[in-house]
Amino acid sequence: MADETTVMEFEAGRSIGGKGSADHQFAEALRGIAVSPDGRIWAVGDSEVKVFNKEGELQDRWKTALPGYSVAVDDHGRVWVGEWEQVEIFGPEGDPVDTWTGAGRLGLVTAIDFGAEDVFLADASARWIHRYDREGKFLNDIGDRHRKGGFHIPNGVVDFAVDDKGIVHVANPGMHRVERYTADGELLGHFGRFDGQDPAGFPGCCNPTNVTLDASGRVIVSEKAGPRAKVYDPEGRLLTVVSDDSFDPAAKNMDIAVDAGGRIYVVDTVRLEILVFVPKDEGASG
Amino acid sequence: MSEKYTRREVLGHVARGTALAGLAGTAAILWTKANKTYAWTIDPNRCLDSKLGVVNVEYCELCATECVLTLSAVRAVNEFSRCGRCYVCPAYYKITSAVGPDGLPTEKVCPRDAIKREAIGWIDPDDPANNFYEYIIDEEKCNGCGRCVLECKEPAGLGSIKLEVRHNVCLDCNRCSIAIACPEDAYERDEPSAT
Amino acid sequence: MRTLARLALLLVLALSAAPALAQQIDYERQVDVAPNEEAVGEGYVTPEVQRPRPRAAMWRTVDVVLLALAMGVAAWLALWRRKRAWLVVVSIACVGYFGFFREGCVCPIGSIQNVTVGLTDPNYAVPYYVIAIFVLPLAVALFFGRVFCAGVCPLGAIQELMTLKPIEVPRRLDKALGWLKWVYLGLAIYYAVLPAVDRDFVICRFDPFVGLFRFTGAAWLLIVGGLFLVAGIFIGRPYCRWLCPYGALLSVFSRYAWKSYSITPDRELDCGLCNDACPYGAIEERRAVRTDCFACGRCYRSCPVDHAGDETDRRSAA
Repeated sequence: MADETTVMEFEAGRSIGGKGSADHQFAEALRGIAVSPDGRIWAVGDSEVKVFNKEGELQDRWKTALPGYSVAVDDHGRVWVGEWEQVEIFGPEGDPVDTWTGAGRLGLVTAIDFGAEDVFLADASARWIHRYDREGKFLNDIGDRHRKGGFHIPNGVVDFAVDDKGIVHVANPGMHRVERYTADGELLGHFGRFDGQDPAGFPGCCNPTNVTLDASGRVIVSEKAGPRAKVYDPEGRLLTVVSDDSFDPAAKNMDIAVDAGGRIYVVDTVRLEILVFVPKDEGASG
Repeated sequence: MSEKYTRREVLGHVARGTALAGLAGTAAILWTKANKTYAWTIDPNRCLDSKLGVVNVEYCELCATECVLTLSAVRAVNEFSRCGRCYVCPAYYKITSAVGPDGLPTEKVCPRDAIKREAIGWIDPDDPANNFYEYIIDEEKCNGCGRCVLECKEPAGLGSIKLEVRHNVCLDCNRCSIAIACPEDAYERDEPSAT
Repeated sequence: MRTLARLALLLVLALSAAPALAQQIDYERQVDVAPNEEAVGEGYVTPEVQRPRPRAAMWRTVDVVLLALAMGVAAWLALWRRKRAWLVVVSIACVGYFGFFREGCVCPIGSIQNVTVGLTDPNYAVPYYVIAIFVLPLAVALFFGRVFCAGVCPLGAIQELMTLKPIEVPRRLDKALGWLKWVYLGLAIYYAVLPAVDRDFVICRFDPFVGLFRFTGAAWLLIVGGLFLVAGIFIGRPYCRWLCPYGALLSVFSRYAWKSYSITPDRELDCGLCNDACPYGAIEERRAVRTDCFACGRCYRSCPVDHAGDETDRRSAA
């Protein structure tokens, strides 16, 4: 249970990356980020993985075969990059380890996360989440039994996060809610509703577009069309609006990540930069 | 002159013949091309209401107000195959208006109430949010004011609604008054995309 | 079966401001941002977006047929029946139909520009009915003279109905002003030949009467139209005589008309009674100048041969 008496506030910190051709910048696209336990930030876009340290300096970069749409770092330090019809797995230094195609099952992989012994891959073509074991054996799908034939994603990506109990929290933007599933695909519950005026609601046609979880189980979402990032408690009560004016108005599908210290990283997909938001009382949260 | 054909008459015949041949030739040249129709079309990449990258602008209403016809020949057209069929459509509902008891916004975008919303496909009787909805624009009411086009534009929507000139109504004026008024020069005489 | 032909919307989403996509990847299986028919279920079929074809051919065909008919009737009235009263009726009817009902568009005068563009610009095609509207009055002029001007052209007809107290314009002035038609024709063709971005349809832009037919338009042009009409009470058909570019073409085509206007129905008396009968200066040396004659029929009344059978005339001649 989060402490509701703590008023969470964030202030904008640095911005990492940016649009351009310098080493630390992105030329055409910046789509996915992940934060590893050591605080390093991994970003995919163009056809590259770029690694930044806590201060935002570029530490490493290597090429991927196809443009990356999502990235995740597992507990062995391996880097998983979600692409079109495949997932590439690299070692921590960028040495290629494996490529999964799921025997044709995979479409556009827009989010990756891990359970204790499994891997979850979000598929925006099929509009649900595939669950595999760590060796690559397909186990089951999550969201395929959804009445709408999968998650309703007019925005074009499926994003989710797995908490430490193995529950999958998925954004279902067309239905304006965040849904919770077991790893086997059983719907446990959901929170969220449409509201164009109340900041606690999800505005527009399809929000939230992206979701992630912090260490206490709080749900952090990003929205488009009036782009903003917000934090909810696990029961779905709005805790704070991280920012509603830092992003380019045309930004959409902004991937988010949070580090152990509670800092929130949001991808601005138009300006091609990672915006860092620091909790004002950095020490009390997390 | 008493000859059967006076010089004047011959000259007359020749002149008439030549002129007719000229006319016929011109007509023939143009006739061969005439199976193509060229009509006024709107370029959606230039139209202010649908141009990408232009955000936070007022809708441009000139297509509705400038046409010489009383009800403008321009209509908003929803490209169904590209429409998200969302429960809450930003072009149908004014999404910044207050939410009613049914969880839907209380105000609509179209000032002439020209969009019809109906549930399609397999309908869930318990949860209306679980359905897909078709948004159909009534061409007799729509006047091409562009509000819905602006609201549907990405990133808010999928940009499936665009303004189009209705060629069964358009007079095809040589000097289209909307074309002249358009601030983005979005009008061109082009072969209309036919079904 | 997933529907085919979805664009890579996801790329556009991420690069929403960029018009050109940097990496064109051919997707066979698209990202379904719009639900496919299977997902909607229950036999749902995506409705066709209606894209109506250009205006029903019917009205355009009616226009062309009525144009031909009106010219035929006018020719018969002017050349055989020789009754001015019925020509006035034709004028009123044409002002009503071609002028107020069809709002003066499409007209043969403006069609000069469309034909010019059609001949010079490969990216433009003149519709069938516009070709017909351009060609018909000229073809008819080759045989029956300027029948089109007789009361079929709505611009001419409305001026014709305003010619109430015409004064004689000095011959030299009349001829000099007549050259303006050719200048206007030249300008119209010049502006039509320009590339599409610079092209201007000047005949349409400066048509003084179409605003009156539509009851709307640029204020200054409506005033000019009104002035033309008012001036037309005293100076017969100023636009037709001195400005109309199509009239310039018609004057060429009617030069060798097969059947031309004669003031007398039968033999020439050379009495000169018709000399002052034409409000448009189209009588020279007791003959109708076929290139300028609008076939209004006013001169018939002044010809004694026309009235040779009349009671009143015989009595007054006695």
